[in-house]
Amino acid sequence: MRASAGRLGSAGLLASALAACIPEGGTGFVQIKTVPASSVSQPSLYLDSVKLEPLKKGAAVLSRKAGTSKLQAEVAGGQLALLCDIVVKKNRITTVTISIVERPPRCQCTHNASQGSQANRTCIG
Amino acid sequence: MIGSLVSLSAVKRAAAVLAVVGAISSGSMWAEAGANADADAFVPVEEYARKVEEFTKNAPNLNKKIEDGTKVIDNLADVPKARSEIEQLRAVVADLLGRVSDNGELARLGAKALEHSRNKLKVLEQDTRFKPEERQFLADHWRELIRQTERAAEDLDRARLEFAELLRTLQTREDFIDELLQIRRAAEAIKVLRQLTSELRDASEKLKTLIGGIKPPGV
Repeated sequence: MRASAGRLGSAGLLASALAACIPEGGTGFVQIKTVPASSVSQPSLYLDSVKLEPLKKGAAVLSRKAGTSKLQAEVAGGQLALLCDIVVKKNRITTVTISIVERPPRCQCTHNASQGSQANRTCIG
Repeated sequence: MIGSLVSLSAVKRAAAVLAVVGAISSGSMWAEAGANADADAFVPVEEYARKVEEFTKNAPNLNKKIEDGTKVIDNLADVPKARSEIEQLRAVVADLLGRVSDNGELARLGAKALEHSRNKLKVLEQDTRFKPEERQFLADHWRELIRQTERAAEDLDRARLEFAELLRTLQTREDFIDELLQIRRAAEAIKVLRQLTSELRDASEKLKTLIGGIKPPGV
């Protein structure tokens, strides 16, 4: 009796631990804005490994699976420079503004992560 | 009434399609390979028009859900319940936004339709097989289709911005309510809810007008 209760308890603990590891499903959105919007020398942007289409009027709203994505820009020599991490949550929108006059371009998050060493380079929705 | 309007728009589009296809097929020196290329150029426009029409038919149902959710929130004094209602509204707005996002199917089809139509027009303008007036007739039709496709894409751009703004409003109000509940300020949270419902009503009216104004190309 006691053994089975213990097994049940362990199973419960395992289930909660697993649930904490499994990322929240669903889809959210990333809104990317560039300043200045009308710049002709817009750098090529990448969300993880996917190259983004040039932003129309300096803005785009992209649907994205919930999770963390890396926003990168192509810099001199074709190298990719990490601008910031973007945390996408289910049915929420994460907005990031990229200042493209700076070299390399810089992310400005509407809402930063509050914890972690990369907090000021992590935008969340 | 709605059914008859829909079928009327479908008939108009079919007529426009027939006009262009008929005009193209009347070219006596049209080679078979050329005719296939014409048909291919029109397919993306038709596909885009169908998807735009599908969106404009479905969006009002979702907008109705926003209106209904707003009414429910307005009558609730239980903040946690209202908060859960906001969460459901976010799902509805996210559904709408997903349909018009820049990497969504509609945007992809719109870009494809425009690219094919512009290429087709370029080829036609340099085509010397037809009489000038025949070439002009065909080119005018393609120009009009391009204009209509661009206009539909611009309307969807505006809708995308509105949905994004609405989603942001919902999530920031929800976060603010959470913060207020953390410091046990339920009365202030109720005030935020009332303000939110007023914003939602305005947004819903704006969306109704915006979505009602979107016309698929070829209509």
